[in-house]
Amino acid sequence: MEQALTRNFCIIAHIDHGKSTLADRLIELTGTLGREEIGEQVLDSMELERERGITIKAKAVRLNYEAKDGNTYRLNLIDTPGHVDFSYEVSRTLAACEGAVLVIDATQGIQAQTLANTYLAMEHDLEVIPVINKIDLPGSEPERVLEEIKNVLGYTSPDVLLISAKTGQGVPRLLEEIVRRIPPPAGDAHLPLRALIFDSHYDVYRGVIAYLRVVDGRISRGDNLRLIGQDTEMEVLEVGYFAPEPRPAPELLAGEVGYIATGLKSVEECRVGDTVTSVSHGAAEPLIGYYPPKPMVFAGIYPTQAEDYKELREAIEKLNLNDASLTYEPESSPILGHGFRCGFLGLLHLDIVRERLEREFYLSLVVTVPGVSFIITRTSGQKTTVVNPSDFPVPAEIAKIEEPWVKISVITPSSFIGSLMELITQSEGVYKHTEYLGHTKSTGEFGQRVRLEYELPLRSMLTTFYDQLKSRSRGYASLDYEFIGYREAKLVKLDVLVNDVPVDAFSRIVPPERAHDVGKAMVAKLKEVIPRQLFRVPIQAAVGSRIVAREDISAKRKDVLAKCYGGDITRKRKLLEKQKEGKKKMKSIGRVEVPKEAFLDVLKLG
Amino acid sequence: MLSIKQIADILATVGSLYIVEETAEITIEANPGLANMAYLTAIRELGVNRLSLGVQSLNDAELALLGRIHTAAEAREAVRFARGSGFDNLSVDLIYGLPGQTLGDWRKTLDEAIALEPEHLSLYSLTLETDTPIWRAIEEDSLPDIDPDLSADQYELAEDLLAAPSYGHYEISNWARKGQECRHNLAYWQNLPYLGVGVAAHSYLDGHRFANTRSLDKYLADFSEKLPPVLDLDEEISPGLQLAETVILGLRLGEGIDINNIKNRFGIDILTHYNRPVEEMADAGLLEQIDGHIKLTRRGQLLSNEVFWRFLPG
Repeated sequence: MEQALTRNFCIIAHIDHGKSTLADRLIELTGTLGREEIGEQVLDSMELERERGITIKAKAVRLNYEAKDGNTYRLNLIDTPGHVDFSYEVSRTLAACEGAVLVIDATQGIQAQTLANTYLAMEHDLEVIPVINKIDLPGSEPERVLEEIKNVLGYTSPDVLLISAKTGQGVPRLLEEIVRRIPPPAGDAHLPLRALIFDSHYDVYRGVIAYLRVVDGRISRGDNLRLIGQDTEMEVLEVGYFAPEPRPAPELLAGEVGYIATGLKSVEECRVGDTVTSVSHGAAEPLIGYYPPKPMVFAGIYPTQAEDYKELREAIEKLNLNDASLTYEPESSPILGHGFRCGFLGLLHLDIVRERLEREFYLSLVVTVPGVSFIITRTSGQKTTVVNPSDFPVPAEIAKIEEPWVKISVITPSSFIGSLMELITQSEGVYKHTEYLGHTKSTGEFGQRVRLEYELPLRSMLTTFYDQLKSRSRGYASLDYEFIGYREAKLVKLDVLVNDVPVDAFSRIVPPERAHDVGKAMVAKLKEVIPRQLFRVPIQAAVGSRIVAREDISAKRKDVLAKCYGGDITRKRKLLEKQKEGKKKMKSIGRVEVPKEAFLDVLKLG
Repeated sequence: MLSIKQIADILATVGSLYIVEETAEITIEANPGLANMAYLTAIRELGVNRLSLGVQSLNDAELALLGRIHTAAEAREAVRFARGSGFDNLSVDLIYGLPGQTLGDWRKTLDEAIALEPEHLSLYSLTLETDTPIWRAIEEDSLPDIDPDLSADQYELAEDLLAAPSYGHYEISNWARKGQECRHNLAYWQNLPYLGVGVAAHSYLDGHRFANTRSLDKYLADFSEKLPPVLDLDEEISPGLQLAETVILGLRLGEGIDINNIKNRFGIDILTHYNRPVEEMADAGLLEQIDGHIKLTRRGQLLSNEVFWRFLPG
């Protein structure tokens, strides 16, 4: 097929704004699949994705569309991950397209992440087609949303389409606009091969399957290829495209989107963003700079039962085959036993990994409080990266601490601004910018919508920040963040001592002025969850040798069975046996016997 | 409550089957409000020589909370009836650790109970069972939570108040004038054999602990067929468990366990055999060794479960 009749595009949308429904409708209206064959949204295949309404792994579907001009066009719809944690993958998907359909919910308006991804699409010179979706819903306000789009993105009425992906209203026109407005791919099939990997997954039978966009040249079965960034070589076992099920094809040409089966053993060898070229007639320059995304958030993952350690290791190894951005290193803690310190792209990534481990591998897990990676320069001049608070050096050895900062963008109705600014300031946020998205004449229920821009340490976002953002805005605020680099920080390690013994799992890194409050909350929580012992137990929070908070658990005074007569002896003995069993399950810290759940409660504390 | 005739029949049957010692302890439990002068006089004459009265409290509000049908005045009257009908061995049961019961409330009930001069007192801390009215009231916040430290204070107050009128604290929950300790209960705490007769009765014989069925119908059906009663419980107590139970029950006693006695019964030296729990609990201040005995300390009595489970086998 002629390159001029190809259109490569993706859909940008906030969670639940209707991306998957629109994809289904496009598949249906182009006759690729009938409505009954589509079933549950085609593009989201993982159970977890469907439940959370987000797409984690990008895929591509080829649609043949007969346009009103009489030509049959080949439309390649490339799915994008919808969450901020996967912005690197989003940027690679965008780089594989010439156009993007921007979907905005007519009942909700522009959300922070949508905006960020739209700007990203503009940076990649994509033709953006804004559509306002869900116009069939009674609460829809297309007029207001239209004005937001005009104010924020500069698109005006005839260019913005009104659709209902659910009913199909407006979708035929969208297909025509895709053909008309999105340019065909450039690129030359006669030049040396250059193809961009925008996704990959591991298949037990054929090894890593790489999804790619061929920019120049062609790929045929049996070709020997090389990844420029990672310098991996491989043989093409199969070439094909998705419609939507995989269909092997003889070759993929410049401008086309499809997949290759590589036989590689792990996605780590074939990562998103790298450029594929041929071993014999290789191109010298990659298409775009390749860098593996770095984990930003770290947490310890432990099995609840020590004997499940091996299963946990195998499960993490399996997930890692398909998820190269998940990192892991063995770690052990006196309380939690053996586990792993894992690295994630963000909190959602952490959540997804945890849920997959629990659901797909039936593991019961203990996940410690998430943290960031600190760069520490010691007084000796040596630099180290620390991802576990217990590895923090003593203050005297620290010359400089650096921590990751992010730029956040929050879109919220104006009534919540005060409360959200308070939250962000408390979270060490630095104010940057305010932008009004609409005019006063079209204010919603809680006032007109505003975008706030702040910079703050990633560390402050990791516990309750997002939940608070949502609850302070009654669910209306949306958040986007991007990593902006490391900055010097004044931080201290806060230790918790139970009966004068430091408990490593409770150590955390805080600004010195927060040490007292955090320490106070932790010792109070521990006092609540640790049962009284036969002796008084001091619970202390300390920075170095300075105690910043203390609570005492007074000694237990009464644990007695008042009555024990002839008719009671067996029953009373059984109660004592139960008590003995309970003691066996406890963890002992500095002679203090603590139920494991108590530790979990405190680890979960924000 | 058993009728006078029923008590007469039981005593006559026992007397026809066993030789009953003249000084045998024959106890009846009765609730104030039901035990009148005529009844008590009659059973005293039949040979019942010890009366245990379920007084519970001498505070009407507390009695109502406990769902008792008697009042404090009726409890005092019952004591007068008992004395008037010739009972010279009287025991009174009291309950502390009630939700909302202050140390002062408890002191008042205790003072008034002591003034009644019973030979024996059993003091029980309330055991809160789920799904009882008191439990529900606490759940619904219409009654305050029970403060275990206040209950401990109440227990210690009782120990101090009862020491003055020279009651002996001979078991965790029991006090008596010298020589008037409850003999049949002592048998349990010394882990000696006992035979219970009747529906739901428990026995401990030949290394077995067993209990007759709780169903009166089943019990009577078997009885009319001259069959032994169906058992709800029949537990063989292994020698190891016998030792543990003997220690645990013995430690409930004020005098504790006699090291030589254990050596004679089980052929072991308790200090070696239970070296770890004994040392650990002595270090914690819950056990002490005096005159060839091991006993709970004052603090150990209130924390006895913490001591006892450590003596269980396995």
